[in-house]
Amino acid sequence: MREQLLTDFDKIISDSKFSNNDIEHKRKSLNKFIENGFPTKKNEDWKFLDIGRIIDKNIGQLDFYNNYSSQNKIDTSIFVKGLEHNKIVFVNGRIEKIDLKHEENNKIEIKEESKSINKFNNINSLINLNNALTNKHYTITTKSGYSLKKPLIIYHSTTNSIYKKNINLRLDFKLEKNSSLKLIDYFYDDSNDNFLNIFYSFDLAKDSILKNYKIDHKDNKNLKYSYNHIDQSENSLSETFILSSGSSYLKHEINCNLNEKYSSAFVNGILKLDDLKNHEIKTNINHLNENTKSYQLVKSVLGKASKAAYQGKISVNSIAQKTDGYQLSKCILLDKTSEFNAKPELEIYADDVKCSHGSASGSLNEDSIFYLMSRGLNYEQSKELLINGFLLDVIEKITDSETKNLIKNTLGLKE
Amino acid sequence: MLKINNLNAKIEKKTILNNFSLNINPGEVHAIMGPNGSGKSTLSNILSGKKGYEVTGEILFENKNLFELETEERAHKGIFLAFQYPLEIPGVNTNIFLKTSLNAIRRAKGEKELDAIEFLNLVKEKAKNLKFDEEKLNRQLNVGFSGGEKKKNEILQMSILNPKLSILDETDSGLDIDALRVVADGVNALRKKNNSFLIITHYQRLLDYIKPDFVHVLINGKITKSGGPELALELEKKGYENFN
Ligand SMILES: Nc1ncnc2c1ncn2[C@@H]1O[C@H](COP(=O)(O)OP(=O)(O)O)[C@@H](O)[C@H]1O
Ligand SMILES: [Mg+2]
Repeated sequence: MREQLLTDFDKIISDSKFSNNDIEHKRKSLNKFIENGFPTKKNEDWKFLDIGRIIDKNIGQLDFYNNYSSQNKIDTSIFVKGLEHNKIVFVNGRIEKIDLKHEENNKIEIKEESKSINKFNNINSLINLNNALTNKHYTITTKSGYSLKKPLIIYHSTTNSIYKKNINLRLDFKLEKNSSLKLIDYFYDDSNDNFLNIFYSFDLAKDSILKNYKIDHKDNKNLKYSYNHIDQSENSLSETFILSSGSSYLKHEINCNLNEKYSSAFVNGILKLDDLKNHEIKTNINHLNENTKSYQLVKSVLGKASKAAYQGKISVNSIAQKTDGYQLSKCILLDKTSEFNAKPELEIYADDVKCSHGSASGSLNEDSIFYLMSRGLNYEQSKELLINGFLLDVIEKITDSETKNLIKNTLGLKE
Repeated sequence: MLKINNLNAKIEKKTILNNFSLNINPGEVHAIMGPNGSGKSTLSNILSGKKGYEVTGEILFENKNLFELETEERAHKGIFLAFQYPLEIPGVNTNIFLKTSLNAIRRAKGEKELDAIEFLNLVKEKAKNLKFDEEKLNRQLNVGFSGGEKKKNEILQMSILNPKLSILDETDSGLDIDALRVVADGVNALRKKNNSFLIITHYQRLLDYIKPDFVHVLINGKITKSGGPELALELEKKGYENFN
């Protein structure tokens, strides 16, 4: 792997226009990655989704270089219908389209720059890899006082022309004072056996609102890692919703710093898996100031030898009095071959706080199925009704009603 | 309509129904009275096709072997069970559930499915007759319903589905006198020459409002005595001990 990485790295650098400083930094990140390699379950954070082993067993030798010189065709049929939106379209990791037609000029800005390239060192091995190999850095800024009129959908699409590729993608979002951004990450894969490594950072200024909805629903055999770093200022709010279902392997990580008072973070999600899939949501909410709030609800429905994990950590700094932190996880196991792991963690150094966590998993209630069947529904219909009912309350947490409907439709929930 | 011959049922090697036989003709109302644990709910569950019992004997419904039919197929053929303990189904809207259920049965019978408006009109009328708070129909199925509301909801479902054989498993337990009347009205409204009822209770009082054609005493999984409506009064006076 080392040889491959070094050659691919040189190709990436020679294609790009990075400054010597940036290249130096990227090389350091690369060396760090080479030193540690892909994380494995020996690392506590990766014990439920051993990415090193998954790559060894399912992908083998990865190719780290992507030739971005030629354009990819956009399959417009994948675009979300019935929902007006702005879009950024990635095809195989290359930006093919930016369309912000619903917004006022200069109120949302996309710039290619590498200012924050040095900011996130050694978060983990995969972020090092990302820092080393991303060929471009974009910053997306929502200007002070501006609320996007329509959501921005980022399409992460892949086609079958890539195979055993590693794609690294990095976006930095800045929400200026009192601005608001609705961001939907929409995954659509027609490829298999690739490793997508996506790193977002969000900087939320005072009174800003971020809504980030992630939808991975189309079946595919890729491995994905999605890392969100969120920094929040006073009275800002972040809402993250994850619908995780399509990929073979997918790990979401949310690291959120509630840096200033009255900031709050909501993380909700659904892990709906079958066919040996393995997904994980890992959160790290850091309450670093007074009167900060976090709320998390994750619901899982697992069948056919699938596995899911939720590692939710709430840390409360000693000055973060009046913290309100809550997390709950519920899981339905549809059969004996499926497995759910919850690892809640509370680390509290302040005394005047309200924090709680809970976790429950069980099978579908056969008595409930009998009740529904006695009313003429067949077994499959009854099961589906119970599962959809189980998922409803977490879907209801989505505060944007258009996105809520999109997710309901995606899951086949009818009104 | 319903012929039960020598039905035996066991759970985990424990005999619950013991050579149980019963015949219900079209249009008849039968009451089964028995103490707690005598096997009343087991009988209802087996008639509706609940799994987990070891059964022998024979049950014919309109001359078809019931054991060959799945629970939902029995519902399609017109068997309805009002549960002793209706289940709470979180996240499932009561109206949507009712419509799904009605249309599943209509489809199976080869009848046209009702559209949203037709369904709403039907459900409104039935809810009104049963003095069932319409607002509850927009709530999650039985979630947060009081005991009485859950029971009324069973009768509402029965009225909408219009079954041939309705089995009411202790629908009267825990109901106040007003609710009891409403339930009885619901049953009486469905009493026609082809609809039959199996009313399970352990109090006589429901039978003041729904006049049964036959009353059976069930003790330890066996019918120990059968008779007319007067048997219920006798039972009330003498207690089950005297019918062993
Ligand atoms: N699932 C079960 N497992 C074991 N025993 C059961 C089960 N269901 C019912 N029984 C037993 O069968 C007997 C009859 O129960 P049931 O039919 O519920 O009585 P009833 O409805 O007349 O009160 C009781 O002794 C009860 O404990
Ligand atoms: Mg009972």
